[in-house]
Amino acid sequence: MARYIVKRFFIMIITVLVIATLTFFLMHSIPGSPFNQERGTSEAVQANLEAFYGLDEPLYVQYGMYLKSIVTFDFGPSIKNPNQTVNDLLSRGFPISFELGIITILVALISGVTLGIIAALRHNGVIDYLAMTFAVLGISVPNFVLATLVIQQFAVNWSILPAATWSSSAHMVLPTLALATGPMAIIARLTRSSMLEVLTQDYIKMARAKGLTPMKIILKHALKNAMMPVVTILGTLVAAILTGTFVIEKIFAIPGMGKYFVESINGRDYPVIMGTTVFYSSILVFMLFLVDVAYSLLDPRIKLNAKGGE
Amino acid sequence: MKKWGMLLLAMLMLVLAACTANEEAGNESEGDSGGEKVLRMNNGTEPTSLDPSIGFDAPSWNILNNLMEGLTRLGEDHQPKEAIAESWDISEDGLTYTFHIREDANWSNGDPVTAEDFVYGWTYMLDPDTASSAAFLGYFIEGAEDFNSGSGDAESLGLNAVDEKTFEVTLNAPTGSFLNIISNPSFFPVNAKVAEENPSWFAEADSFVSNGPFMLESWKHDSELVMAKNEEYWDKDTVKLDKVHWAMVSNISTEYQMFESGDMDISEIPAESAEELIDGDNVNIDDQAGLAFYRFNVNEEPFQNQKIRKAIAMSVNQQEIVEFVTKMEEKPAYGFVAPGFEDAEGNDFRETNGDLIEYNPEEAKKLLEEGMEEEGYDELPEITLSYSNTESNRVRAESIQQMINQSLDIDIKLSSVEATVFLDEQRGLKHQFSTSSFLHDYADPINALESFTTDSTMNRTGWSNAEYDQLIAQAKEEADEKARFDLLYEAEKILMDEMPIFPLYFYNQVYLYADDVQNIVRHPVGYVELKWADKTE
Repeated sequence: MARYIVKRFFIMIITVLVIATLTFFLMHSIPGSPFNQERGTSEAVQANLEAFYGLDEPLYVQYGMYLKSIVTFDFGPSIKNPNQTVNDLLSRGFPISFELGIITILVALISGVTLGIIAALRHNGVIDYLAMTFAVLGISVPNFVLATLVIQQFAVNWSILPAATWSSSAHMVLPTLALATGPMAIIARLTRSSMLEVLTQDYIKMARAKGLTPMKIILKHALKNAMMPVVTILGTLVAAILTGTFVIEKIFAIPGMGKYFVESINGRDYPVIMGTTVFYSSILVFMLFLVDVAYSLLDPRIKLNAKGGE
Repeated sequence: MKKWGMLLLAMLMLVLAACTANEEAGNESEGDSGGEKVLRMNNGTEPTSLDPSIGFDAPSWNILNNLMEGLTRLGEDHQPKEAIAESWDISEDGLTYTFHIREDANWSNGDPVTAEDFVYGWTYMLDPDTASSAAFLGYFIEGAEDFNSGSGDAESLGLNAVDEKTFEVTLNAPTGSFLNIISNPSFFPVNAKVAEENPSWFAEADSFVSNGPFMLESWKHDSELVMAKNEEYWDKDTVKLDKVHWAMVSNISTEYQMFESGDMDISEIPAESAEELIDGDNVNIDDQAGLAFYRFNVNEEPFQNQKIRKAIAMSVNQQEIVEFVTKMEEKPAYGFVAPGFEDAEGNDFRETNGDLIEYNPEEAKKLLEEGMEEEGYDELPEITLSYSNTESNRVRAESIQQMINQSLDIDIKLSSVEATVFLDEQRGLKHQFSTSSFLHDYADPINALESFTTDSTMNRTGWSNAEYDQLIAQAKEEADEKARFDLLYEAEKILMDEMPIFPLYFYNQVYLYADDVQNIVRHPVGYVELKWADKTE
């Protein structure tokens, strides 16, 4: 296990470096400069700006500076918000996105799994159809539509919850609702189908024959194996949700980090593009690593050692 | 199972901890509205910077213009008025301005506002190491352009602190719009003592020193900024509001929903609801100095021909665009300079120079035929209209495509380009015909018209006209206001006759105000003024 972790750790570092390098060159290959604006300025002003951010240096020098910034994790000031460093933006935005993300994942996971189990147990019954209709709706209604809808109902029409911004726990309810519905629906469908499969396995029949209570069979024997596909998607889902979602954060005016992914690219804010990329890819490869570890915990047949399973 | 339980428990605790931390933060900003006049507004986004030299855009100006004050300040009639300077003398040649700073002009920390603060702030703005986007606005000051381009030094700037309260500025040429330009936040003073001690004094609320109607009470980056009345302000008795809360909500639909649910006093109108809301009693419409227009590239066929350019322009019905497409009560534009600028005799520039283009499909057809004959075209070369990929640009481009088709029976193609790439291509003259926009940096017609001199970075049409360049250069040096406006009138006529661009409509500022909101002044150059604003019970 320890050897595996060390090996994975090195692969993770290399992966992040490769992603970062590709992003750097892709970013510089798209046309447009961060200082392009509708307003006219003078040539001298443009030159001063480029010198200020080191953009007048040759590309390989910029790449060198950038590699240094990855190692020290200091990406310098943002171009669009010059008085703030990329680290400021990330350290301020990430905790907020993380907070919303964790709640969302918990809500999605708990309600999705519960819904999936109930549907599987009442296979082809009314509850199953209701649950799955709900799941299909959840997957097909985009979260920004849902977001606008819940604001209109809960905040404007009924005035029971605040419409937007981020300052108390009441402010968290609507964004969580809008954000969790999609993942919940996906998790519910996955749980249902893998649960159905697991329930027909011999070891479940065996457990029944031994006279275990249905509750115990489901929770102790069936669910653990049925969770495998859910865990698989959870890795990427968690990385994506924890680092914030552009649309939901925009609609609810949540000061998370989701917007930097999109706005930094639109504005060619090079330091922010690089900072968010390195940050996100680090989290993503780490989550994928956790998923691998979780596999071995859920299924003893999967061994993480390089020699492979018996 | 046990392991999972532990993990879940740990996660839950984490979340709970985070929630409680936030609740405390929330209470702090809410429980303070008892008896106080608190205005709740939206800035849309975090201001780019509250460093007056760096924050060169509306989100920064909204805040800065209310926190600080320059030598002059735009009044309720949008004309520059005495502000930190209580008076000034102008030398006979119009080159030297001597400003007398008010004795009672103080910074929010109690320091007096001195001439040295202006020398410091303006020098800092022009310093190439500051990399201020606004620096070019100061090029009329002696030595400024050389200093900013790296070939001069700070000592040669025409800025001089004669004594503590007397500030002298020397210009390259008499500049009619000088008093107007220096009301822009880039020309605000900087408290030299504070800035030398802490170069990023403007980055946080606790180090920010202001000299305007309000001071910065708190600033939660990216989410909320609170201003409180500045008791050190020389004209504090005029200021009615106790506090202003600025939210940073970028989605206009959300902003409107917050307004509807009573969380916001002022809101913009979401584009999709324009039709139903624009006629409401709570709608306030102010002019904005700037316009939507289209650029022709005169280096690309068929737009090297003036008659063909004019034919296209005359086949577009501006009135219909504002009535049925944008639907925000904008004024159709028949010239390049927006309404609201007074000339030397107090007449409105736009009215005086009149309509310089008209919608006339018959005349357009004739001009097109003549133009095609001049160029020897049997068939018109293909025309592509490029636009930056926003929804509003697309809708407008499609309407224009249809109008040109109806009037002239020409099929033009549309091409949507990502915004930053679009600007790059436009500057590189890669478009044939493109969507454009202009917003004033300061309130003078010359700011609009100087865009189309040969070497202007705003030109982006390839159009170059010696007579036009000459008129603008003369206007910049003309000391006599009447003569200066005559030059500008003449220049606009040339621009509209040559038509390297054609105007569509003048922008405006449309806001919904709650019933108790009063006296907010929105200057056409884009800053909002809360000095006189009030909330009645």
